[in-house]
Amino acid sequence: MSDFDPTDFSLADFQWNDNPDVLSPPEDFQEWKKSPGIQTAFALFEQELQGPPGARVRMRSNVDGETREVINLTSYNYLGLSTHPEVVQAAKDAADTYGLSASGSAMLSGTFDLHNEFAQKLADFKQKEAAMLFSSGLGGNMGAIQGMLQKGDVLVIDDKCHKSVVDGGTLSRAKVVSFKHNDHESLDRQLDEHGDKRCLVVVEGVYSMDGDTANLPEIVDVCNAHDVPIYLDEAHSTLMFGENGRGVGEYYGLEDEVGVSFGTLSKSFGGVGGFVCANKPLVEYMKSYASPFQFSCALPPPIVAGMMKSLEVATRDSSLRDELWDNVRYFKNNLDAMNLDLGETESQIIPIIIGSSGEMLYSMAVQAQHQGLFIQPVDFPAVDASERRFRISVSAELTKDDIDEACNIIEDVIAKPLKAAS
Amino acid sequence: MTKDEIADMITNELANHLDDVDKEDLDPDISMRDLGVNSLDLIEVVQAVMRELDIKIPRSKLADIETINGLAEKFAEHVD
Repeated sequence: MSDFDPTDFSLADFQWNDNPDVLSPPEDFQEWKKSPGIQTAFALFEQELQGPPGARVRMRSNVDGETREVINLTSYNYLGLSTHPEVVQAAKDAADTYGLSASGSAMLSGTFDLHNEFAQKLADFKQKEAAMLFSSGLGGNMGAIQGMLQKGDVLVIDDKCHKSVVDGGTLSRAKVVSFKHNDHESLDRQLDEHGDKRCLVVVEGVYSMDGDTANLPEIVDVCNAHDVPIYLDEAHSTLMFGENGRGVGEYYGLEDEVGVSFGTLSKSFGGVGGFVCANKPLVEYMKSYASPFQFSCALPPPIVAGMMKSLEVATRDSSLRDELWDNVRYFKNNLDAMNLDLGETESQIIPIIIGSSGEMLYSMAVQAQHQGLFIQPVDFPAVDASERRFRISVSAELTKDDIDEACNIIEDVIAKPLKAAS
Repeated sequence: MTKDEIADMITNELANHLDDVDKEDLDPDISMRDLGVNSLDLIEVVQAVMRELDIKIPRSKLADIETINGLAEKFAEHVD
């Protein structure tokens, strides 16, 4: 490592463990973690929240050990449903009736009336024939893809797809190839190359590090030309995009072109879990071959009841997503006024791209925290090394005062130093 | 070790790693993505070649390199 500064290295550099003792990490990883700059970066992970993930939360800092109230721009509780009184009450009532756990896999003993009712409601909501529930979002993507594909197939993914999509491909033993982000010509080349095999194209409704949407109209055209089905991951778009909140598929008027629609319950829904909607024969088939479905304990009944209430609250009118989009517009206008680089965001995920300096990124994150703002840095390899950034998750729960205060801190800690550096 | 020798080493490693690609198909000047190499394949191949060359270059310094020859050139700068 002597030729480079420790901050040039990242988690991408230590995946290979050459330590002969399998119970020990690589020696260079341990040495790297001891560097002061890297210790600061790691201190920003796993910080302790001491209340619900709302607009403001008490947080114990791993950087200085202090506990302070911070404005929270980091949680995925986009619509505030995690703490919505009706949602919490539904979960409490279900805990009284069913207890905490499903106490078994869905196939054997973990399917309750609540699970069946909720799965059908999700299928109806997404306008597909059937849905299946998973205990985690990662497990949902992994399981569905592993359940659909096999050795000899080709999984064609946008190169900014989530790790769960890649892991699903790896687990399925299909060949995994990528196309340039949102580039339909790159996709076309991959389908030309692999069109003689069974292929599945995976794109995301909203990309989690950039906040842009899938270029769905052009992607649909290419996939239709090659007669290849589309799997749409709506983890960061369900309940928010589209006139009825069904997601980016609805937003573009292309839901019927999507073969499989995936969603999570841990983001806008405010709970935990994942779900996959598709035609009924495929869902029934996947239930027999998707390991995370077959071999995980089913979702806890209180979570299912709470999420069912979240679906009801978020779709009975547009008020929550109207509040969210109003906040997104207000926040973006304030950030634009500071001439910050917000990339191509079109959603409630707003990146602030600061460039290639990891040292600056972590220094800014620490200062923001000291001033009362919880905003997470995103480093390579999650994003390009030249586009290190902060990622804001806007919530409907933020007040305009919260956003004003957050923007004041962002101006002091991020915008002014960036301007000075340039 | 020359750049061409390193390029050959990368090509051999890729061909060994990928089930459905022959060494002759791996043009060192074509984007590895277009050759069917995904990011996980590349991480493993890069790690293996750097171990063999006894060098350690941060992945962040390699991320924008698209071709086998581009990688070989970068590796050659760090080989004694």
